[in-house]
Order: sequence, then structure tokens, then C-alpha cells
Amino acid sequence: MSQRMKRIMAAALAGTVALSAGACKTAEPEQEEASQKVTEADLKTAAEDGDAKEVTIKIAWWGGQTRHEQTQQVLDLYSELHPNVKFVASPSGWDGYFEKLSTQTASGAMPDIVQMDYLYLTTYAKNNSVADLQEFIDNGTIDVSGIDEKLLNTGQIDDKMTGLVLSTSMLSFGYNPDVLAEAGVEEPTADWTWSDFIEMSKKVHEATGKYGPAMDTALDTNGFNYWVRQHGQSLFSEDNKSLGYTDDKICEDYFTMWNSLMEEGVLPNPDEYAQIATLGQEAGPVVTGDAAMIMEWNNYASKLSSVNDKIKMVTPPMSDDSDAKGLWMKPGMFFSVAETSQVKQEAAEFINWFINSKEANDIMMAERGTPVSSEIRDYMISSGKLGEQQKAMFEGVDEAAAICGDTPAPDPVGMSEINEAFKNAANSVYYGQATAEDAAAAFREEANSILERNNK
Amino acid sequence: MLTPWLVGFILMWMIPMFISIYYSLTDFNLLNTPSFVGIDNYIRAFTKDKSFYQSLKVTFIYVLVLVPLRLAFALFVAMLLNKKHKGLGLYRTLYYVPSIIGGSIAVSVVWKQIFGNQGVIMSLLNAVGISQTTSLLGNTTTSLGVIILMGVWQFGSSMLIFLSALKQIPYSLYESAQVDGARPAKMFTKITLPMLTPTIFFNLILQIINGFRVFTESYIITDGGPLDSTLSYVLYLYRRAFNYFDMGYSCALAWILVAIVGIFTIVLFKTQGSWVHYEAGRE
Amino acid sequence: MNRQKKQRLRSIRFHIGACLLGFIMIYPLLWLVASSFKSNQTMFQDAYSLIPKVWDAAANYLSGFEGVGGVPFTTFLFNSVIVTAVGVVGCVTTSLFAAYAFSRIRFRFGNFWFGCVMMTMMIPAQVMVVPQYIILKKLNLIDTRISLILPWFFGGAFFIFLMVQFFQGIPRELDEAAEIDGCGRVAILFRILVPVVRPAIITSTIFAFYWIWQDFFQPLIFMSSAEKFTIPLALNMYLDPNSYNNYGGLFAMSVVSLLPVILFFILFQRYLVDGIAMDGIKG
Repeated sequence: MSQRMKRIMAAALAGTVALSAGACKTAEPEQEEASQKVTEADLKTAAEDGDAKEVTIKIAWWGGQTRHEQTQQVLDLYSELHPNVKFVASPSGWDGYFEKLSTQTASGAMPDIVQMDYLYLTTYAKNNSVADLQEFIDNGTIDVSGIDEKLLNTGQIDDKMTGLVLSTSMLSFGYNPDVLAEAGVEEPTADWTWSDFIEMSKKVHEATGKYGPAMDTALDTNGFNYWVRQHGQSLFSEDNKSLGYTDDKICEDYFTMWNSLMEEGVLPNPDEYAQIATLGQEAGPVVTGDAAMIMEWNNYASKLSSVNDKIKMVTPPMSDDSDAKGLWMKPGMFFSVAETSQVKQEAAEFINWFINSKEANDIMMAERGTPVSSEIRDYMISSGKLGEQQKAMFEGVDEAAAICGDTPAPDPVGMSEINEAFKNAANSVYYGQATAEDAAAAFREEANSILERNNK
Repeated sequence: MLTPWLVGFILMWMIPMFISIYYSLTDFNLLNTPSFVGIDNYIRAFTKDKSFYQSLKVTFIYVLVLVPLRLAFALFVAMLLNKKHKGLGLYRTLYYVPSIIGGSIAVSVVWKQIFGNQGVIMSLLNAVGISQTTSLLGNTTTSLGVIILMGVWQFGSSMLIFLSALKQIPYSLYESAQVDGARPAKMFTKITLPMLTPTIFFNLILQIINGFRVFTESYIITDGGPLDSTLSYVLYLYRRAFNYFDMGYSCALAWILVAIVGIFTIVLFKTQGSWVHYEAGRE
Repeated sequence: MNRQKKQRLRSIRFHIGACLLGFIMIYPLLWLVASSFKSNQTMFQDAYSLIPKVWDAAANYLSGFEGVGGVPFTTFLFNSVIVTAVGVVGCVTTSLFAAYAFSRIRFRFGNFWFGCVMMTMMIPAQVMVVPQYIILKKLNLIDTRISLILPWFFGGAFFIFLMVQFFQGIPRELDEAAEIDGCGRVAILFRILVPVVRPAIITSTIFAFYWIWQDFFQPLIFMSSAEKFTIPLALNMYLDPNSYNNYGGLFAMSVVSLLPVILFFILFQRYLVDGIAMDGIKG
């Protein structure tokens, strides 16, 4: 189609478009709330005058029942402490949260503060939908002194602080000590290697007939990312336009390792795992004592402590022949502020309080994951309110800091599509429809085309 | 009489349809300002997108197998329930229940349980000597079959429509046929079936339209897997729109679907003169 | 004597078959009810059994009714009832008028508009929701209950199509005769046609009730304040794949949310049965 034709068609469509295009300018201010029509300058003078103006902050998050209740309490408490601040809260389940958020953003109605996932942060940042919070860090509104710098910088995209990290998590292995004891296998320690892991898994299976590890190894690329980093390479290239590792052997070996465990019945195959997963993680085989280990995030034991309080956590296996640091501090979730927000200063103040205040964290009890502030972590450990598993998790974060490598750059745009491609490549091996070698090549081809399309 | 309704219809449906046509001609990720790209999205679907063809294939098989099965079953049960028995209200309710609980978590768990790796069906197959290594849901050749079976299971709404149409057939027709000594089979082909043709036509169109838009079943049971063997067209389009931030492309996919379903519908409308029996006739 | 015996045998056979089928149809519902009685801790250890090992019904239902995020469940129930009641009445009424117009009144571009109505059924809701959101936002209706009802008022494509099909089954001579008697259009519709298409209206009411009651996607996008959420949105708030979930409360409230739909069906299906005022009208 020629440029001219395109222009003509565009003009012809302009009538219908007028409605939508106007709504899509991301910087269009919210008109309906008169109380929000307050410029930052106004606010500062108001604060200096001592009587702060009334503001309404719209805030959205996803979570389960506990999180909704706790967050509502935190908001109420904040309004009590700052009578000029009111909240309009939109709690949501995980399902549909991002569908709603993107629709709202499309029509310029993004809430002021949104809970953000790493998976999508880059997309929102690259489209200038979220505000740069650096100025609020610089002017002292948000105190980040207690946050590990590498972790803090996971929110930094194109030199802008696009999200403030709320919690941290790490790839870990959870294990059921009873099952290991039953098989006569010693509990793993932080210096275990992949070959230790395989040996242990097989022993468990031979001795008890149970699964060694039980998890979906094709779920997403996090485990694979760890593996690649252990080979001294990175999953994505610096410009995010292609995969970062050069040798497909890395990927092939990864698929082969899991596939041979499946063939021996040590690890459930995707079909068996689908049946296991039907019942939810509360009834997972590690919890019920039908499997020994699982690759999970470090909050696994604490999350499930009410159904099984014996599960322990260990850092994932080390490489057998490389010192490259594979582990990294993964940001759990973020608070981002809408670029269109008229109450950025107040939003920043709230975020600061949310992260650094004892009273807020006393209510939330680390339900969103390990708090990022080391002071809050220390405070909570010493307060004695934490459960056994939570305490171990908090301490684990400080210990693991020593073996963590650089935090990888934020996920590229198109990450969920990459995960889908990875899932299909891995499953094609597990279903015997492709060799590990072919699947590794197919994943590279697919991933590169996704990356190229999304990261122009 | 129709004008106020038309105004609302234009506002709530026609304008959104035009906007989505416009989006389909743009590069639009929901967060940016749409930029016009002509028919690039359509070209991309037909030339560069393997998943597009895969999901189209899955959906076509689904529609072509499900629709006749479900309609035949719904009509069969509706005829049974149109007789005079005790407790018919109870049965009608029981059979409509699957359509009510549709996409709930209970359905998802129970279907995965029955057809999964340790489910009833696996044990049955093994018991009769068909030894299976993977479950019907975990097998790329049978997984779609399970999804289709679930569609048949939800025959309740078609059944209801058949039932209400059966009620509309004047009883006097059967009486006079009985006087003439017609047998049940003949009454079915000479009275019931012709009188039902408008409803069959209606159900057929409806089921085809709904069949092409199948989403919930593959979303809650298999999430499109294993290896995209149950990736329905709308599930793929949904992922494109909201998970992959590809709304422009997704709108193009939607309009390709409308074109396909539209062709089916128009063809059916054109042929109805030869087999659908209306009292009033349609111009 | 012999014939009577035969008939009774046939009746028994019918009931056995119908009950068996009924059990298959409602098994997931039974599972859901059973699960809502199980204690949260053991819920999934005995997931496959219909009889709870550890009963904890009271705790589940009480915790469910406490609601989510400080909003009691009765609020969600109230919202759903309001939205559904107004939605059903509006949707069925406007569809009736529209269907009458489409099938009995000649007006300009009638076929074109009918085609447009059909098209709203074909286009996946997933791509319509963003444009609809934009329009509702222009009208300042986002996050209001009206936004949930409005699309139903003007877009009952399914019901329009259903009723048009039924209207076409009614001989035109009937209206013509009434017209000669001096009846106006509205009178014709309500005095002559409505009684005849009553089964279609009841069917539409049953479907509309269920569809609006369980609608998830539109409310999800249009609503943001928890105190205005309908039940499907509320149920979704119970679940987060990354934390420990109150399944007991979720299942209990799922049961509560299904009760009105099932009750509504039981009440209304009766009218499907004795809905024959037809014999007075000879075709």
C-alpha cells in the first residue's frame, strides 16, 4: 500500500477516530475530579502554609483476600494520619488486573498508584505511561537508604525510576525433610551442585518410589535464566533485540537434563504435572509428602506454612564447573505512579510511608513478600511477630546477597510471549516431538523474532 | 418505534465496532497513540503467523464437530422431555445446570480430574485393555476431543430453545395425524421436524457463531495446551490483545473472524428458503 | 393389563436413564457444594471425594459472607440483584420491540440494521470492551452500575434474533385481521403476538438472567470500586495464585451465587411447559 493511499484512508477514518484518539493521549488530565486539579507548586505552598489541600488518590492492586483486607487497613490508617488524603481503592484478583489496567491507561484513566509486575513494567515504561519517581527520591520524599541498590535499580528503565520495588524474591528450592529422611538422603546445603541435585533426586525416587523434584520446568524462563547466568551469559542481549547467550548447547542441555529425569520417572512429565497442578499448590506433592523438592520462589515455605510447617528452603544448585553467579534478587512487585496523575507528590509520600513505616508493615506482615527495606526486615525479625518460615526467609535474603550476581536488566517488552515460546519449545521435547537440539534452535528463532518486533 | 433503541445501539455497539475496525488498521498496544499502518496487520496474520493458522484449525474442527453433535443431542433430550412424565421439571433443571456453572473453577477442577492422568477415564481405558501412557487431556491428538465433549455436555441452552419451540407446535396437528393412523416416526419427519426448522435454523446459526467464539473451555481447562493443540482462535486473540499488548493486531484477528462467521451465516440465510419452513414467509 | 405393565416398564427405564444423565450433568455442582463444606486445611487432600473428611461448613460460609476488602458479601449480592433485575427487564423488553420491528415493519435499511445486530454477536467481546470503555468514559458512566446495564439495553442481539425467529412462525393474517379490527401496532404486539411468543420471552428471560448474573469481563473492565462490584468480580478477588487462598470461602460463596440462577430457572421453566395458548390459533 502506497503512502498516499495510507494517508487517504487515514483521513477517511478520521471521523470515527476522533472519539478514540483524543482519549488515547496519555497525558490528558483527568477532568472529573475537581479536587485533583492541584498543581505540584500549589501543593508545596499549601504544605508550607500548614493546611494541606484535600487530595484523592486512586490506587489499584491485585491479590487475594488477605491482601485486600490488610491493604484497606493500611489505607485507612494513612487517611487517619493525613486527614487531607482520601483513597479510592480498586482491589482486584490477579485474573483480569492487567486487562483492566491497560484499558484504563488506553483511555487516560490510569489510577494514580498501581501495583505493577516485573513482567509488564518495561512495556508501561517504554510507552511513557508511568511517572519518573527519581525526582521524589532526589528531593527526599521517598527514602531509599534501606533498599539494596541493585534491587532498587530494577525499577530503572531508560534512566527513569519507573517503579518503586516493594518486595524481593529469589529463586530457591523448597524441600520436604521427611521425604529426604525416608530415602536416607541428607538435606541439601547452600553449596550443592546440579549433579548433587540429580543424584539426590534419583535416590529419592529409587528408595521411595516418589518423585524427586515436582514442578513445571516449562512454566516460564526464570529457572532457565538462572541456568544461563551460571554459564556466564545472559538471557537477553543488551539492546533486548535478541537472546543474549550465543551457544544453543546451553538451552539444549537444560532441556535434556529435565527430559531425562522425566524419562526415568523421577520428575513428573507435563501430563502428570497437569493433574498435580489441578489441586493447587496447597495440595502440591511436596506439601503432602509425595515428592521431595520443588523449584520455587523463596516465599514458598512461608506461604504454605499453614498446611505444612516442615518445608525448608535452600538456594538453587550451583554450577558444577563455573563460578558465575547465577542467582539474583528478583523484584517481587512495584508501585508505579501514573504519568497522568495530578497527585504525584502525595502518591510518592504514601509510597515512602508504605515501604519505610513500621506501622504499615505491622499491618501487612510481609504478605507481599520480603520487604525491601533492611531496617524494616530487622525491625520485623526483632519484633517477634514473624512465623518460623518467615524469619528464615528474611534471614535468607541477607545471606543470599553474598552469592547474588548483578541483577539482570528489566525484562524486555514481549516477555509473556517469550515465556509462551519457551513453554512450547520445552514441551515439544518432553512430548517427544522434537529433539532438545531442534527445540533449542526453534526457541531461539521464535524468541528473536518476538524480541525484534517488540523492541524496535 | 425503533429510533430510541437504534440511537443506543449505535452508541454502545456500532461506534465501538467502527473504532475496533480503525484499531485493526493501526499499530496499537493500548498504551501508545495508535499509528496508522494500513492493512499490515491483516497481511501479517496471513503471511507470518503460525499460531493464527493453528488456532484457526483448532476452531474449525471444534465448530464442525461440536455443532452437529450438540444440536442432535439437545433435540433428542428435548423430545424426551416433551412427553408426559413425572419429574420433568427436575430433569430440565438438572440438564440446564452445566450451562449455568459454565466457566467456574468447579468445572475446571472436575474436568481436569476426570480426564486427567489419574482420572476415571484413564482407569476405564486401561481396564478395557486400551493402555494409555498419557491422559486424554495431555495428549495432543485427543485434548481437543475433551474440550468438544465439554461443549456437548453444555447442551442445556439449545435444549431449552428446542423445548419452547416444541411447545409451540399445535397439538391438533398430531391429533389429526393420529386419526389418519400415522406412526411416531412419520409424525416426527412430517410434523415435528418441519415445524422445528425455524428453530433448528436459529440454533444452527447461533451455535456456529458461539462455536467460533469458543474461549472459556480452552482457557480454564487446558489454557490452549498441550503444544497449542487446544488453542482456540479467541483465546489466541485475547492473549494478543492483553498479554502481548498487540491490540491493533488483535482487532484485525477479530474482524477476520467476523468475516468467516459472517460468510457461514450469510450462506445459511441464503439456503434457508429451501429447507426452513415459515408460516409467515420472509421477504 | 399387559399394556399398562409395558408402559410402567418404559417409564421406569426413562427415569433411570434420565437420572443417570442428570448425575453426570450436575456432578461438578455436587463437587462444589461438597467442597464448600470441607475444611480449608484438608480441602485438597480429599479433593476427589464428595463426602468431606473434615467438616467446616460454618466457617466457610461465615468467612465468605464477611466478604473481601472490608465489603460484606451481601453488598455484592445486592449489586448483582439490582444490575440483573434492571438488565433483564430492559434487555427483554427492548429486544421484543426491536424484534417486532424487524419482522413486521418495513423500514429503510431494515436488512442492514439486522445484519449489524447479528454482527454484534460475531465480534469477540474482548476487542469491543476497550472502545466501549472509551465511550462510557465520555458519558461519565465508568464505575457506575448503569455502565453494566447499558450494553444489555441496546444489544440483546441473541434475543432479537430468537424472537424474530418466533415472530416469523406466526401467520401474518393474524396481524392483518387485527389491523382490520382497528388495532394499533402496540396493541397487535401485546394482545396478539406476545401471548403466542411467550415461550420465547421466557427463554430469553432465563438466558438474560444467567448471562447478566455471571458476566465477568465487562464488569471487570468497567468497575473499579469494590463496593460496586458484582458477584463474579467479588469471587475473583478471593483468588491469587501467589498467596495462600481461602478456597472454603470461595466455594461457599460460589454456591451462594449459583442459588439464585437455579431458583430462577426452576420458577420460570414451569411457564415453558404450560405456555401453550396455541390451540386457539389454527395455523
